[in-house]
Amino acid sequence: MGSVLARNCVTVSGVPSGRPMVFAHGFGCDQAMWRFVAPDFEVDHRVVLFDHVGAGSSDLSAYDPEKYGSLRGYARDIVEICRELELENVVLVGHSVSAMIGVLALQEAALQDAPELFGALVMVGPNPRYVDDGDYVGGFSRADILGLLDALDSNHLGWSAQMAPVIMGAHPDQPELAEELTNSFCRTDPDIARQFARVTFLSDNRADLADIAVPTLVLQCSEDVIAPDVVGRYVHDAVAGSTFTKLSAVGHVPHLSSPEETTAAIRAFLTG
Amino acid sequence: MSGAAGEPDPREQLGRLLEEDPADLYENAPMGYLSALPDGRIVKVNRTFCAWTGRSPDALLGARFQDLLTMGGRVFHETHVVPLLRMQGAVREIALDVVRMDGSVLPCLINAVELRNDDGTPVLMRATLFEATARRRYERELLTAQRAAEESEARSRTVQQVVSDMAAATSVADVAAVIVERGRAALRARGAALVLVEEEPAGGIDDLPRLHTEHAVGLPAELLHELQAAAIGQLALELEQGVRTIPLDERLRSVRPEIAGAMAAGGLSSLVLVPVTADSRRLGVLVLGLGAAGGDLISLDEPEAVTVTGPADVDLLWTLGRQAGQALERARLHEETARQAERSAFLLEAARLLAEAADVRETVERLAHLSVDRLADLCVIDLETEQGPVRATARHRDPTRQYLADEVRERHLSQRSATHPSTRAMQQGGTQWVRVVDEEFLAGVTSEDRHRQAIRAMELTSVVAVPLMADGRRLGVLTLATDRRRSSFTAADVEVAEQLGLQMSLVLAKAQRYELDVRTSHTLQANLLPPPPPEVAGLQMAVRYLAATQGVEVGGDFYDVVRLPDDQVALAVGDVVGHDITAAATMGQLNSVYRALLVDRPAPSAMIARLQASWSLLGLQRMATALFATLDPVTGQLRIASAGHLAPLLLTAGHAEFLPVAPSRMLGAPPAPAPAQEWAGVLTVGATLVLFTDGLVESRSADIDAGLAHLLAAAEAADTSDPDELCDRLLDALTGAHRADDIALLVLTRTA
Repeated sequence: MGSVLARNCVTVSGVPSGRPMVFAHGFGCDQAMWRFVAPDFEVDHRVVLFDHVGAGSSDLSAYDPEKYGSLRGYARDIVEICRELELENVVLVGHSVSAMIGVLALQEAALQDAPELFGALVMVGPNPRYVDDGDYVGGFSRADILGLLDALDSNHLGWSAQMAPVIMGAHPDQPELAEELTNSFCRTDPDIARQFARVTFLSDNRADLADIAVPTLVLQCSEDVIAPDVVGRYVHDAVAGSTFTKLSAVGHVPHLSSPEETTAAIRAFLTG
Repeated sequence: MSGAAGEPDPREQLGRLLEEDPADLYENAPMGYLSALPDGRIVKVNRTFCAWTGRSPDALLGARFQDLLTMGGRVFHETHVVPLLRMQGAVREIALDVVRMDGSVLPCLINAVELRNDDGTPVLMRATLFEATARRRYERELLTAQRAAEESEARSRTVQQVVSDMAAATSVADVAAVIVERGRAALRARGAALVLVEEEPAGGIDDLPRLHTEHAVGLPAELLHELQAAAIGQLALELEQGVRTIPLDERLRSVRPEIAGAMAAGGLSSLVLVPVTADSRRLGVLVLGLGAAGGDLISLDEPEAVTVTGPADVDLLWTLGRQAGQALERARLHEETARQAERSAFLLEAARLLAEAADVRETVERLAHLSVDRLADLCVIDLETEQGPVRATARHRDPTRQYLADEVRERHLSQRSATHPSTRAMQQGGTQWVRVVDEEFLAGVTSEDRHRQAIRAMELTSVVAVPLMADGRRLGVLTLATDRRRSSFTAADVEVAEQLGLQMSLVLAKAQRYELDVRTSHTLQANLLPPPPPEVAGLQMAVRYLAATQGVEVGGDFYDVVRLPDDQVALAVGDVVGHDITAAATMGQLNSVYRALLVDRPAPSAMIARLQASWSLLGLQRMATALFATLDPVTGQLRIASAGHLAPLLLTAGHAEFLPVAPSRMLGAPPAPAPAQEWAGVLTVGATLVLFTDGLVESRSADIDAGLAHLLAAAEAADTSDPDELCDRLLDALTGAHRADDIALLVLTRTA
């Protein structure tokens, strides 16, 4: 199972005896997203970062379209990582889609008869269903999602890496030029990116929220187009006993745009 | 050569141009410039960008940059651009679409940098935007071409795979499995099924071709049922239309609510029908059920949206349909050849089995076993017997379903309705072939629930009933049926059933005749043989009668012991010539006449004379040998006369001898000129008299004298005067397991 840590490019830092915190990045980039908040928790926590399979420095060959055709595949990986590291009472911090993956990871742990694995859940900008459905507002129409897939295709960051030398007329023996052109942190295989986008934006995990049985924090950003206010409120209402914290941070990535505020909110929740 | 007046100096000109106003350069640069705060609010923007977007600077200042983007662009901005700017301080060539004032979209490529103050806090984002309409179109075309190439490659891989899988498929079932699996994978369909037209029309020319599902994966049975019901009568029309998509829409809901309901229940948004053809023959349809989306993800199609199968997919499906058709034809030919060989082997085996047949019961049972092994799933054989119709056997191929056959066996012909194929075969004397077993048929052939349930549980698909006839006599019915695990009977199968019926009829006719004879002879003889000898004071007696084991007939041996009114005992042992019913009948008559004549208590020789005299009068057809004797149990006075019969044996104190009784002529032979000579003597106390027929001493391997000598020796060696013991020991010593003739044995010992 040592391959689990390599597969997900797991990095462990902080105080080995501290309460473990596992940070799960969302759709888009990789574990580098946590670079401004992780150091703060390293002081008194055991901090575990990783890349979902298909993202960052994970093992792309481990990508199985069947397994990762559902968020449960990603959830199983988180449970595997925690078990491999023999963690207990983990604070699972999930951003965006990983907030929902976190919910499924709790379920998976219970299924594996290891409910002690997770002790708290922090949902950063959660959205259990992006596509509007009757009275439910998720913030997106189907056309919006198609537009997103389109934008992904257009950017195809991984693909651009291959295409850049052609477009720039660069000589193949000047690879450094091509390398410089790529957006390194968010680079991935375009097919995987597309699949991850589909499974992220086309899942419906509203019904799973009721299963959450650990203390839960819903971190809601301001003016977040991906996880609007109304959705955060919905999640808060659906998770019994959850804490709702509205951040002044604007956008969808508070841990990058307002790391101090984000850290403080999480700490406040943990010290309760 | 320098300084020519009036000539502008090119360097000066260039210098002036380069001293342009930087503000003008910013405002009118051939690219969009903008600066925004970390939250996206635009604080500075150039004229070029304003012109491109059709928005005034006032409208743009204070607006958030991400709000100018399309929805997809906004998500991409949040999930990629913002993190990248924060993490690496710059992004390059990000493709984003800016929405113009008029709603139209301006494809852009954006480079941006993040300005930070000394402690790393972001202060400002500076971005340059290039219009990238042409480039994006180029990229898009590249992408489209790449995707098309990938899809085209995937399609040709599918076709190659199908061709190679088909080559390995030798049965219709294999072909069906391949085409269903591959077709399903090619279209990422939720389910697929191959529905085939039955090879043989279900009867008259007006009958519509029947359909059956050869193989199905992931489609609800209800849907297949509804489709088949709907396709009847329109099949030719359906197939004519080529590859066809049936969306689950309002029209379908109103025209075919059952199909629409079944689709909805199965989570399907559309069906694709692919004709399966070989040359011009339409063999069936490949049905593909497309789901709303893969797995449990939300469908990207708007509810009610119609999924359209692209032309390339249509071509691919056409090809698959044709490949499947050809493979089906090949597999059918292969299967038919194999079945032909199997049929020949089956009939050969049946012929061998019938040739070895020992009795009707066993024959019927073994034939039933063979039939369900090779030809059918259920075999029922009804026989006409003297006691009326008998359901001789009902055998199921699957031992775990034999109980259902047993249930069926309990009903025999007379209990079944006139429409039952077995009844009709019997009555009309011709083969009945029920090609389709449906509820209507079940209702017609069964009269009560339990029976109907048993038949229904067997899931029969076709039935053949062949009458068993010989010389115009109806011997019974052979009924065979298939269930849905086996394909229905073909004309060739029915022919095999008829040939089997013919073979069976011949053997049955012979066997029934034979069994009738045997049974009659035994019944007759059993009725004719006298009861055990009466108790007589001073005498111990034992009798034995053993039928021959070889041959089928029963002999005409008899014995008789009668106590006469004057306390004398009359003894008789005889043997009618022949081993058949006539012999047995003659023996019976002889016995009756003998008993009648005893009324006058004639002496043994007189008995012979009287029987001789009345022989022709009585119409007795066979001659016979016999010994008649009278014995006084008190005095031991014994008189014996012989009509051509073997002399009796006397055993006295361990010494055995044949009494010298002079034989007269056989009964039924022309009468002798003089009466038979009687032997008269005394049977001493303790002496034993043994009367027997020639079966005891005759054998195929030795002559009768040897047999008689053997008997003497055996009697002495027996060392007993107990009649029962002596009977057993003599039979032990003189007869083996096989007897060529009947044996009658009467042993009598005087005790006081």
